[in-house]
Amino acid sequence: MKTITFDQKKTSSIALEFDELITDNIYSWTEEDFAAYKVPVGNSRFPITDYFDITVEGEAESPAEVKMILNGDCNRVKYIGCKMSAGEVVVNGDADLHVGAEMSGGVVTVFGNVAAHAGREMKGGKLEIMGNTKEFCGASYIGEWRGMSGGEIIIHGNAGKQCGECLVGGKIHVLGDCDILAGIHMTKGTIEIDGNVNRWPGGQMKNGNIVIHGKVGRLLEGFVEQGIVTDPELDGIVYPGRYIEYKGDIALNGKGTLIIDAEKNRDRLSTWIEEDDEYNAIREYRAQ
Amino acid sequence: MEYILKNGIVYDPANEVNGEKMDICFKDGKIVEDVSADAEVLDVTDKIVMPAGVDPHAHVAGPKLVVGRLYRPEDERRGVAQKTKVTRAEAGFSIPSCPTTGYRYSRMGYGTVCEAAMPPLEAKHTHEEINTIPNIDINPLPLFGNNWFVMEYARENRIDDLAAFIAAMLRVSKGYGVKIVNPCGSEAWGWGMNVHGYDDKAPYFDVTSREVVRALAKANEQLGLPHSIHIHPNDLGHPGNVPTTIATLDSIKDIAKSTKASAGVRDQTIHCTHAQFHSYTGNSWKDAASGAEEVADFINKNPYVTCDVGQVTFDETTTMTADAPMEYDLFKISGLKWANKDIECETAAGIIPCIYSPKTPVSTLQWAIGLELFLHIENPWQVCLTTDHPNAGPFIRYPKIISWLMSAEKRMSMIDNGEVHKWASKRTGLAGLEREYDFYEIATISRAAPARIHGFQDRGALTPGYNADIAVYDINPNDFDPSKDPEGVEKAFSNAYYTIKDGQIVVKDGDIVSTKQSHTIWTNVIGYEEEEKQIIDSIMPFFTQYYSVKWENYQVHDHYVPNPTRVDVEAK
Amino acid sequence: MTYEPPVTDYDHIVENCTCAFCGCNCDDLDFLVKDGHVVAVRHACRLGASKVMEDMDQRLLVPMVRNEEGVLEEVDWDTALDTAAKYIAESVRPVFYGWSETSTECMKEGVELGEYIGAVLDNQATICHGPSLQAMQNAGYPIQTLGEVKNRADVIAYSGSNAMNSHPRHLARYAAFPRGYFRQRGRFDRTVITMDPKFSDTAKMSDKWIGFEQNGDYGFYNALRAVLKGKKLQSESVSGIPAEDIYELAAEMEAAEFGVLFFGLGLTHTLGKQRNIDIAIKLVQDLNTNSKWGLTPMRGHFNVNGFNIFMAYETGWAFGVDFCRGYGRYMMGETNTIDLLVRKEPDCFMVIAADPGAHFPNGANQHLANIPVIQIDIHWGPSTELADVVLPGSFISVECGGTSYRMDGVPIWMKKAIDKPETCRDDEWIVRELKERVMKLREEPNVADEYVPNEGLACLLDK
Ligand code: SF4
Ligand SMILES: [Zn+2]
Repeated sequence: MKTITFDQKKTSSIALEFDELITDNIYSWTEEDFAAYKVPVGNSRFPITDYFDITVEGEAESPAEVKMILNGDCNRVKYIGCKMSAGEVVVNGDADLHVGAEMSGGVVTVFGNVAAHAGREMKGGKLEIMGNTKEFCGASYIGEWRGMSGGEIIIHGNAGKQCGECLVGGKIHVLGDCDILAGIHMTKGTIEIDGNVNRWPGGQMKNGNIVIHGKVGRLLEGFVEQGIVTDPELDGIVYPGRYIEYKGDIALNGKGTLIIDAEKNRDRLSTWIEEDDEYNAIREYRAQ
Repeated sequence: MEYILKNGIVYDPANEVNGEKMDICFKDGKIVEDVSADAEVLDVTDKIVMPAGVDPHAHVAGPKLVVGRLYRPEDERRGVAQKTKVTRAEAGFSIPSCPTTGYRYSRMGYGTVCEAAMPPLEAKHTHEEINTIPNIDINPLPLFGNNWFVMEYARENRIDDLAAFIAAMLRVSKGYGVKIVNPCGSEAWGWGMNVHGYDDKAPYFDVTSREVVRALAKANEQLGLPHSIHIHPNDLGHPGNVPTTIATLDSIKDIAKSTKASAGVRDQTIHCTHAQFHSYTGNSWKDAASGAEEVADFINKNPYVTCDVGQVTFDETTTMTADAPMEYDLFKISGLKWANKDIECETAAGIIPCIYSPKTPVSTLQWAIGLELFLHIENPWQVCLTTDHPNAGPFIRYPKIISWLMSAEKRMSMIDNGEVHKWASKRTGLAGLEREYDFYEIATISRAAPARIHGFQDRGALTPGYNADIAVYDINPNDFDPSKDPEGVEKAFSNAYYTIKDGQIVVKDGDIVSTKQSHTIWTNVIGYEEEEKQIIDSIMPFFTQYYSVKWENYQVHDHYVPNPTRVDVEAK
Repeated sequence: MTYEPPVTDYDHIVENCTCAFCGCNCDDLDFLVKDGHVVAVRHACRLGASKVMEDMDQRLLVPMVRNEEGVLEEVDWDTALDTAAKYIAESVRPVFYGWSETSTECMKEGVELGEYIGAVLDNQATICHGPSLQAMQNAGYPIQTLGEVKNRADVIAYSGSNAMNSHPRHLARYAAFPRGYFRQRGRFDRTVITMDPKFSDTAKMSDKWIGFEQNGDYGFYNALRAVLKGKKLQSESVSGIPAEDIYELAAEMEAAEFGVLFFGLGLTHTLGKQRNIDIAIKLVQDLNTNSKWGLTPMRGHFNVNGFNIFMAYETGWAFGVDFCRGYGRYMMGETNTIDLLVRKEPDCFMVIAADPGAHFPNGANQHLANIPVIQIDIHWGPSTELADVVLPGSFISVECGGTSYRMDGVPIWMKKAIDKPETCRDDEWIVRELKERVMKLREEPNVADEYVPNEGLACLLDK
């Protein structure tokens, strides 16, 4: 096991690019190697040691045996863990664009907020963000119709717009709120949102699941109510509680499933008659 | 500057040189008989020497390429490479940026590429791109098959007027020859329709494809253009299109080839492009099968026909063609993003991303049909190596196709070990074909034949006086069995040992070592000046009313053709 | 409007000139020239005419450099170019922005300089139709030339675009009014629909106005698509439009022989941004099942499309291309001017024929005040106040020839009609000079020792 610790000495207004500093490349590096390394900054390269004190402890035979720790405010450090296949990265602070993008294995944990494109086109592994993230989390590259295809993203804070765009596999779990158009164009996989959703979840989705435990601002016409379901099971996972189920987006003959918490969204049911059995059932359920 | 390529094994089919060890000399950009003792010696002992490659049909420059690039950033990302001291940054896989296109052709030993579809209204755009592509010369073919004036002349059988119109349009658009795409069909697409078969009429124009193609063929031969009509027949990609294809080729049997010197190089009066897409039997994809044998048979019996194949290469690529209705059909099947571009009074184009996978039945059928055509057509002078780049695959796969053609064993192993779908053996005769191309035949289909078909009198052969466009590949043919080493073939043809363009060494050992400005090859018809003026005067009222630009702005000024190779045609 | 008598006092007329204002690129203008100045313009709309008959008071005529007191000082060309070249050569994160009001010939020099030094090249699309381009990249791009519209279209829809004000001759020259081959009665043969929250001037000219609520675009188009798929709407109204109106509109659009949807910034700059275009494109694709439809973004500047086309064939991407690592990169939120400025990354900014001072959000302009700004333009503007070096260019299509691309991608040669002021230079010349000077000052950064092909090239699907 090898631990490589980056202690920040100096921040930069121009972003540093860490695409070469991923476990797959640096597992065999010594402190001397780092001292000789110049990190890309804009159109130039500067010694990495200008920005970080780097300590290396232990030995590693493969990327999987590496733990990379970044201490400091990395909100101008792009591509952390981008394309990595194994090992572990911990960021004690914020992180910039493309954290864990295109990664195929390993674990990235960020104890701060993260800029856009986190986990873009992820294929495997796990990305955990303790703070908030901006737009296009777990999305695809622009123009690409195959987005994140595997692995897991967990966001403890809020997620920005178009989270999980073009999702074709894997799971995104947002513990906070989610901005508009979560799961747009998705074809497979699951997005679970514990908080509220601003508008239009699942726009033009073809398939896959979206689970929302909070309140939904506005739904698209393309989602057709299927009624109330209790403890539904989606792709082998049971979501306890009562939900309103929708299918959509029928604007493109989509067959996706959207379930939203029935209780928090009961105003959606208010057009139903008060005596409706199912509605009463919810009230009873709530009273318990 | 004088050079001598020493001791290479030369394949020069136009001069009937088949694997002879000899020296090739060149001086000031031209091949010469002899050089002085001061000549620089390039030692290519026991390496293959051929004329530089000539691509008879590809889409490398112009408006639909740009639509493709604009809307497929994910494809651009797949071909990114950092700039070097000599080359600029590269980008793109199936639709590379212009500099990238030039570099990649050069690395394969190519020197000339035909841009096969130039809408005259946007010809300036095509030429701007041609000027941005380094290292290869380009001859663009303007589109005529759905042009409103052409359809009118064809309906009224006004061949003289049509000839004058073609002469004028080649001058105005700085084009090389007559391209016809889905005649009448792209016009029908203006209304969201298509034509079916060869005798269907374009809505409102009361003219059939047959009439348009015959009229253009007659006018082409009347002028004696260096290239024949270059046609993409109707019903592309539809199961059961063999009768349409054969009817199209058969319909101009009676039209004699021009006797003018300018047309003297070529043998054909019609060139059928991407024949693979036009050789399907059956009624739908459910019962589709190969019609390659029938089409090849027709070509074998009729020397006035040539073709290129449009070989499928199993890649994720981008299809783009002026056959816009077909692209919309494809979009309906794949559901991937669809682009379309209709151009007033002239043509239309459709573009979609396309995935040819060896695991799917249709892609495999198309792959096998392409190879069948190569193997069934007996005379290599009648068939050319293309992928209809980027439609059936990107041009960087030519070396792979060469390796398939040279090794029956490789083809059989792909079928036998399930690398390709079982339709290859069930619905085509590919498994029964043992023919293997030799280097002489490869040199024919990739340089000598395309050059002859396009009527070039300055390239495609190592004849003294011709341009010093030469490719050297690192294979010793006397000590190498291409049938047993397909990977070796692919590698050698992907990375030329030398590519020499106009006497300048542009590639050494697979690396670009220098770049040069490309030439635009266009045809200048002499002797029709009076008729051209009359025909332009006669179309002017119509043009002013129904085009959206002024005539002055329609023309391609010399500014856009800074480095022309003008081919003069004495048409009278 | 007051009546203005026609100008009769002129030396000669230059015919078939092109208007260098909006994306219509009208190429049928006649310039009336007297004493080397354009004194009147025939055929142009008011916007175009006033642009061509430039205001000499506002004209930048001499190169200037901001001195130590912070005042712009007139200098000779050599000094100005050397100062600018030094700023560029010393920069780590240069951004070259603008280009939409200059020629592709000038862009050619610009891209060479940008690739050499490792700059970000971007244009006004980043603040206007960038979302449209991104939507095309997601959904597709079915377009047609404006002549097709003129000759065939029987239904014309404007969405989020007030063409009457922004592209005054659009309806008259290409879309609604002209006599087309299949539309011989012009306006009478066509139905014009305007979809816009505002009852705009274009809406007043239209047969039908769909005034959906602000930010309701996505929901509205989604409903329209559902109806086209034969589905029943569940709500009585969507985005403020009654359900029956949506049914009626859908039927009308589907019945078109040839329909065209023109969309403007109204659609790209409301909630949902590129997704509004995305779904509009999908709608057009759906409509093609039973009808024929196309669309065209109403591009603003006369060559904003030209830059996108130019960049696509030169570099592979349309705008916001970052060359800092020696190869091209294009990524939303990372390589666009506004994002970079808000992140305070750039340390040198060259603005050519554009006015960020007037159009950028405040946060972006604040950063511009802190870094060297080089301006190449013909007029004073808010950007001049930010500039550290001012290089006076010349007026494409009036004083200097060049290529531009119309909103539908038709290339236009914009010819020269009069001479430029003696002290000005052509944009193309200025950028070439800068390039050559920068090359002398700094060795090319980030050049690979040898060519390394992209791993993506090797991948065959069967592997
Ligand atoms: S519509 Fe646009 S291009 Fe035409 S004259 Fe007016 S401003 Fe100029
Ligand atoms: Zn083609």
